[in-house]
Amino acid sequence: MIRILSLITLTLSLSACYEEADVTMHQAGEYKGKIDIHTQTAEQREAILAKRFGQVQTDR
Amino acid sequence: MAKMKFLCDEERCIECNACVTACKNEHEVPWGVNRRRVVTLDDGVPGEKSISVACMHCTDAPCQAVCPVDCFYTTEDGVVLHDKDMCIGCGYCFYACPFGAPQYPQEGAFGSRGKMDKCTFCAGGPEEDHSHEELEKYGRNRLAEGKLPLCAEMCSTKSLLAGDGDVVSELFRNRVVRRQGRQEAWGWDTAYNVK
Repeated sequence: MIRILSLITLTLSLSACYEEADVTMHQAGEYKGKIDIHTQTAEQREAILAKRFGQVQTDR
Repeated sequence: MAKMKFLCDEERCIECNACVTACKNEHEVPWGVNRRRVVTLDDGVPGEKSISVACMHCTDAPCQAVCPVDCFYTTEDGVVLHDKDMCIGCGYCFYACPFGAPQYPQEGAFGSRGKMDKCTFCAGGPEEDHSHEELEKYGRNRLAEGKLPLCAEMCSTKSLLAGDGDVVSELFRNRVVRRQGRQEAWGWDTAYNVK
């Protein structure tokens, strides 16, 4: 009887040491601020900025 | 669609701090706030390396995930911005950021923490483009003017690069091949690799 009780106690105490291995992913909430309206569309901006990168930042 | 990214080539950075100065001057950043800083590893030891660090505009931004008032948003071209009218200056984003980017100006008589300020990739904020409010709160909006971040544009050694991730990585890859070095873009794994 004592053996069974000690076995149960041991099992319970060891199970208390179990660590959750799954990582909690924190999802970003929904943005609640002002809407950012750009004067150009993303496509327009992409073309302009790509040209600018070529003019200013490429290796010479 | 272009995804804007920063890359600092540690082999080229000469720790001149011109990027820091340019940023402060361009956006009239308040005293005590540095949107960009240059960090030197093994300072004074032969082979020391310097890197220019600011907000990396992470793909899956941790600051955005932890913000209790949800004041962060990501633009279509991948720039992480925030609304200062909503920010409560709690400091959660500072603890979440792997680059130490969020900054807080001291406000009031007792120097309490003000609203968070960080690099905007020179893209302003949610206020109207080129408006006085935008300039006051977030600084200049160079992207709306068809220009890239000033820190990168004026980097004399072209160590700091800012632009579309594909273009920047292509340029860096060519450099690495030329100098037969290791291809290791500092911070890219942390900022842009979504696990």
